[in-house]
Amino acid sequence: MKNYIVKRLLWMIPILIGISFFAFVLINLSPSDPAEVAIRVNEITPTAENIAQMREQLGLDDPFMTRYLTWLSNALQGDFGNSYANNKPVGEEIAKALPPTLYLAGVSLLIIVVVSVGAGVLCAVKEDSITDKTMRAIVFVGTAIPGFWAGILLMWLFAVKLKWLPTSGMTTPVAVLLPAVTLSLGYIATYVRLIRNNMIHNKRENYVLYGRVRGLKEQTIMKHVFKNSLQTSLTALGMSIPKLIAGTVVIENIFAWPGIGRLCVTAIFNRDFPMIQAYVLIMAVLFVFCNLLVDLGSVWIDPRRRKEA
Amino acid sequence: MKLKKGLAVLITAVLCTSILAGCSGASAKTDVSTKEELNYACTKDIRDINPHLYSGEMSAQNMVFEGLTKNEGGEVKPALAESWEISADGLEYTFHLRKGVTFTDGAAFNAAAVKLNMDAIVGNLERHAWLDMVNEIKENVVVDEHTFKLVLKHPYYPTLVELGLTRPFRFISPNCFVNGTTKEGVNGYVGTGPWVLSEHVDNQYATFTQNETYWGEKTKIKTINWKVMPDPQTILLALQNGEVDLLFGADGDQVDLDSYKKLEEEGAYKTYSSEPVASRAILINSKAPITKDIKVREAIEYAVNKTNIIQGILNGSEDQADTLLSKDVPYCNIELKTITYNQEKTKQLLEEAGWKLGTDGVREKDGQKCEITLSYNSKNAQEGTIATSIQADLAAVGIKMNILGEEKQAFLDRQKTGDFDLQYSLSWGTPYDPQSYVSSWRIPAHGDYQAQAGLEKKQWLDETITKIMTESDETKRAAMYKEVLTYINDQFVYIPISYSKTKAVAITGLEGVTFNDSQYEIPFEKMYFSN
Repeated sequence: MKNYIVKRLLWMIPILIGISFFAFVLINLSPSDPAEVAIRVNEITPTAENIAQMREQLGLDDPFMTRYLTWLSNALQGDFGNSYANNKPVGEEIAKALPPTLYLAGVSLLIIVVVSVGAGVLCAVKEDSITDKTMRAIVFVGTAIPGFWAGILLMWLFAVKLKWLPTSGMTTPVAVLLPAVTLSLGYIATYVRLIRNNMIHNKRENYVLYGRVRGLKEQTIMKHVFKNSLQTSLTALGMSIPKLIAGTVVIENIFAWPGIGRLCVTAIFNRDFPMIQAYVLIMAVLFVFCNLLVDLGSVWIDPRRRKEA
Repeated sequence: MKLKKGLAVLITAVLCTSILAGCSGASAKTDVSTKEELNYACTKDIRDINPHLYSGEMSAQNMVFEGLTKNEGGEVKPALAESWEISADGLEYTFHLRKGVTFTDGAAFNAAAVKLNMDAIVGNLERHAWLDMVNEIKENVVVDEHTFKLVLKHPYYPTLVELGLTRPFRFISPNCFVNGTTKEGVNGYVGTGPWVLSEHVDNQYATFTQNETYWGEKTKIKTINWKVMPDPQTILLALQNGEVDLLFGADGDQVDLDSYKKLEEEGAYKTYSSEPVASRAILINSKAPITKDIKVREAIEYAVNKTNIIQGILNGSEDQADTLLSKDVPYCNIELKTITYNQEKTKQLLEEAGWKLGTDGVREKDGQKCEITLSYNSKNAQEGTIATSIQADLAAVGIKMNILGEEKQAFLDRQKTGDFDLQYSLSWGTPYDPQSYVSSWRIPAHGDYQAQAGLEKKQWLDETITKIMTESDETKRAAMYKEVLTYINDQFVYIPISYSKTKAVAITGLEGVTFNDSQYEIPFEKMYFSN
């Protein structure tokens, strides 16, 4: 197990270097001149002189590899440079926007787990009943509705009509509910189906039959079926965590949530390259780490894989 | 089982009721008798409101900072300067400052503070390249405690108007300066204005409270909550939910015209529309391969059905423009050739220019198709709709027009390099029109410059504009404006569409909603609640 972890950790180094390089190259392929963007974002009229001055200030005249290595070594020390738009350190801006996003993603995750497990198990237990069919129909609709539309509909119903919640903003503790529910809709649909299908599949396994033969209670049998069905869902759920964090872009804009998604959208519109680079890199690191944790988790849970490792 | 059925019925009932409720008309009138706070929603954060820089929201800068003069009702009025004298040669402006004015941190507003601010602005010349005025300042002189003298290099005629612009000639407390200047940022936002910025949380909200020591008439509302809501749809729902009392914005920035119309019909809100402020036009590039031919440009002007755009897309909420600048704009009340929608004339002009109708309905000349592109900033959906209307008009006369919606920076890149056939153009409106707007035609990074670059007399045009700015004789200046505007009009570089208006939507009970001369300012200080 130890060797496995070390091996995986070592593998992460080239992957992360690759990603950071990719992020840097992509931004540099953009047709806009970063020096000019940095000037124009502050509403200064670009002239040949001030562009040259800005190029020097930003070190854009250095060879590509030098620029990349400088950026990488600074990034490793947590210095992502200053935003073109407001000249504040990118690291600080991200650190400020990350907690609201984590809060939103956390509440969404909680909703996803509670609702998916509840609905998934119910559907599996009541296979092909009216309840199961209704649930699946709702889930189908849930998957089909785009997030921005669902968000507006929920806002209209629960804020404007029922007056239960505020429309947007991070003003009260309950304000997180609408964006979190909107964000979780698509995921719930996936997990309900996943859990349901896995459980139904497991229900047909021989161990269930043997259990029944041994005269075990239906509840006990279902508990085993449930446990055995979780494997795939857990892996998928693990990978959903970074997706949830990175996927808040649209939701944060609709619900005026001051998180990292909005920061990223604003940065894209402003062509705020240091901010975009940092965002891409941080998200990549998050994905790679979550992937690793999920793998380690599933190895740890499953005795067969533990042996392989 | 029964319980579950009951629950299902209940949920369905709740949903149906709420949906039905949604279909019914307007919500009830809000009771505003106890309201002391105004909630204003904006798609943008106020950001850095340093009055000498350009990254903050202008309407927020205007709340906190004041200038020596202000532009009101088309005239220059005293603000922090009570009165002024201009020397006979037009080079020296002596301002008598208002006495007893303090910044909200207690610092005195006097000639020394004015000089410090003016020097900081002049010291950052590069950032103010769009405004000739900064370049014209020779010296800032403290005459005595309450007298300040501005010495110019030339008799720059729009001096008083430009000193009253929202930025950069506004005054921030000397205590906010960093290293004796403001160009690298400031350590606070303290002004003399009717409002004090008391709290600001990035990307969430800003709170402005009444300046209790204000020298002029104090605000009637105690607090303004500036809420940041990036999505216009959310703003509308928040307005209906009572979380927002006011929407205010120029050029469909905040209030899209359909929702505006709907709210007006509902009657629960009051909608306001300003006098025409700015010109909405389409630039035709005189340097681009197809539109470099003046006949083609003229033909395009004849082909655009403005009535369709104004009535069909803008819901009749703006006035049709036949000339680039409205006759109400200073120096613009001149006779110019106007063009009325006429497809036959378009066809005739295109034939004369050698563009013959091809088999596929698109005109051709020397094997080249008559195909042009209109690019616009995709964030403004309304511009996309206008583009579609123009596309249909041009298709009817054999011109294929592609529409290219791009994000802002890409749009600006194209504008700067002149890589466009047709592009949107919006003048800055009063009090910038005509002087600052026309003046900006000389800057290569502007779309106007690029579109005019193919004109035979472009150099003469730029030189004349430069002369206008320092011509002290009113009659000569008017004559020169006439020459410039006539030339531009006869070269068909602009298709004037409409004169845009600033729109606002407020809950009933919010009174005093008016408009300043500049479309970028919001006169919160004049608003009050009344049942």
